[in-house]
Amino acid sequence: MKLELGKININQVVIGTESKIVDGTLHICDQDIISIVLEDDRIASCHVEIANPGDKTRITPVKDVIEPRCKVDSKGGIFPGVINKMDTVGSGRTHALKGCGIMTVGKIVGFQEGIVDMSGPGAEKTPFSKIINICLVVEPKEGLEPHSYEQAVRFAGLRVADYVGKLGHDVEPDEVMTYETKPLLEQIAEYPELPKVGYVYMLQTQGLLHDTYVYGADAKHIIPTILYPTEIMDGAILSGNCVSACDKNTTYHHLNNPVIEELYAKHGKEINFMGVIITNETVYLADKERSSDWTSKLAEYLGLDGVIITQEGFGNPDTDLIMNCKKIEQKDIKTVIVTDEYAGRDGASQSLADADKLADACVTGGNANEVIELPAMDKLIGQLDYVDVIAGGFDGSLREDGTIEVEIQAITGATNELGFNHMSAKGN
Amino acid sequence: MVKEIEKTGIPVVHICTVVPISLTVGANRIVPAVAIPHPLGNPSLSFEDEKKLREHIVEKALEALTTEVDSQTVFE
Repeated sequence: MKLELGKININQVVIGTESKIVDGTLHICDQDIISIVLEDDRIASCHVEIANPGDKTRITPVKDVIEPRCKVDSKGGIFPGVINKMDTVGSGRTHALKGCGIMTVGKIVGFQEGIVDMSGPGAEKTPFSKIINICLVVEPKEGLEPHSYEQAVRFAGLRVADYVGKLGHDVEPDEVMTYETKPLLEQIAEYPELPKVGYVYMLQTQGLLHDTYVYGADAKHIIPTILYPTEIMDGAILSGNCVSACDKNTTYHHLNNPVIEELYAKHGKEINFMGVIITNETVYLADKERSSDWTSKLAEYLGLDGVIITQEGFGNPDTDLIMNCKKIEQKDIKTVIVTDEYAGRDGASQSLADADKLADACVTGGNANEVIELPAMDKLIGQLDYVDVIAGGFDGSLREDGTIEVEIQAITGATNELGFNHMSAKGN
Repeated sequence: MVKEIEKTGIPVVHICTVVPISLTVGANRIVPAVAIPHPLGNPSLSFEDEKKLREHIVEKALEALTTEVDSQTVFE
C-alpha cells in the first residue's frame, strides 16, 4: 500500500464570508462551519474562534484536535466508516493542511478534558500551542446525556475537518512525502538483510467515554489486528476519548503518529518496517489476556525481530503494556515500551502501576504529576468553572486572579506516549 | 494498604480485577474481581444473578482469608 501525502502549509487563518486557501492563508466562512456543526440536532449552539501561536489565550475544556485532510481524486474519504462511507484507505493521494487544527471545545466530562495555553509556560507543554487552532465551542441541548454529547461533538469536529480539508483538494502542496508498505512476503523480500520491526499501537478503550474507533468500530470489541501504517494517516483510527488530557492520543496525534513517521524514515536503511498491530486496553482481565496473547502471536506470525509498543493513558493500562511487552519478549522478539509516568509531584514514587524485568528498554513522555503554574491569560475560549476538579487539578487550583496551579496532567498532550513532544533530560 | 494492614498481623484478601498488578505490588491472598468499572457486580446481569455473583465473590474471599498460604496465591 502506497500513499502520497501532500503537505499544504497554512500560515494564517482568516474568518470571512468565503472558504478557500490562497497562498498559505486559509479563509473560512464561520457561518458555513456553524451550519455543519448544527446539522446534528443534539447541538444547541456553536461559535468559531481562532487561537494563534503566541496569543495570550487559554482554551479549555479541550476535547479533541483534528488535522484537516482530504483524499485526492478518490471515491473514498478520510475517517471512513464514520463520516465517509466505508472504504479501505491508506493508498493513493492525501492532502493535509499543516500548521492548523480543528479543536473541539465543550464541557462534556469537565474533569477529563484538557487545557491549551497559546503562550507562557503552559504553551511549552502542549504541541497545540504551535499550530493555529480553529476552535469549535459546542453547547449541547439541555438534558443531553454526556455520551450523546461526546458523540455529537466528536462527529461535528470530524465533519468540519473533512470540510476544511477538502479546501486543499486542488491546492499544490508545499511538499509531498511518499510512504509505502508492501504485502508481507514482498516486504520481507525487499530488505532481507535488515531487522524486521513492527509497531504495537495500544488504543485507549476502557469504555465510559474512554474510547477509540477503528474504521468506525468501537475498538474495545476488536481482537488485535494488522493495519498498513498509511491507513492511519487517512483517519482509520480516531479518538472518542474523554480522559486525562496529558496522555490521550487526540485524532491529530493518530494522523501524525511520530512512531510511524520515524519507522518510515529508517525503513530500508536501518530496519524493514513491517506494519502496525493495533490492540486495545480493556477493563476485564480475560480481555487483557486475550489481547496481549494476540499481539504477541501476531508479532511472531509476522516474523518480527523487534517491536515498539506505545501505551495510551495510565493506571490499569500499565498492565496491558507490561503484558504485551512480556509476552512478545518471551517469543524472543526485542521490545521497547513508550509510556509516561505518575511518579508523584516530587517524582519519587513508582512510575507505573505494573512492572516486569523483561521491560528493560523504556522511553518516557514525562511525569504527569509535575506541577505547573499557568499565569492568567487575556482571553479565554471555553470556560474555567470546572478547573478545580479537572484531572490534575485540586481545590484551589483556579485562583481569583485567573492563575491556575495544576499538574501537567491537565494539559492536552503534555506527556504524550507516542513521543510527540520534545521533552528530554540530559545526564551530567 | 493490603501490605500495611498485614504488617499488623491481620490477614488480608485483595479482591481486584487486575490480578497482575496485585501480584506486582505483593498481595498474598488475591481473589479476582469482575471488571474495573464494577469490581463486585455486573450490571448486565439480572438482579438475582448479580446477587449470586456477589455472594460467590464474598464467600471466595472469606475462604481465602481462612486459608493458610506460604506464597502469593490467587483464588480462582
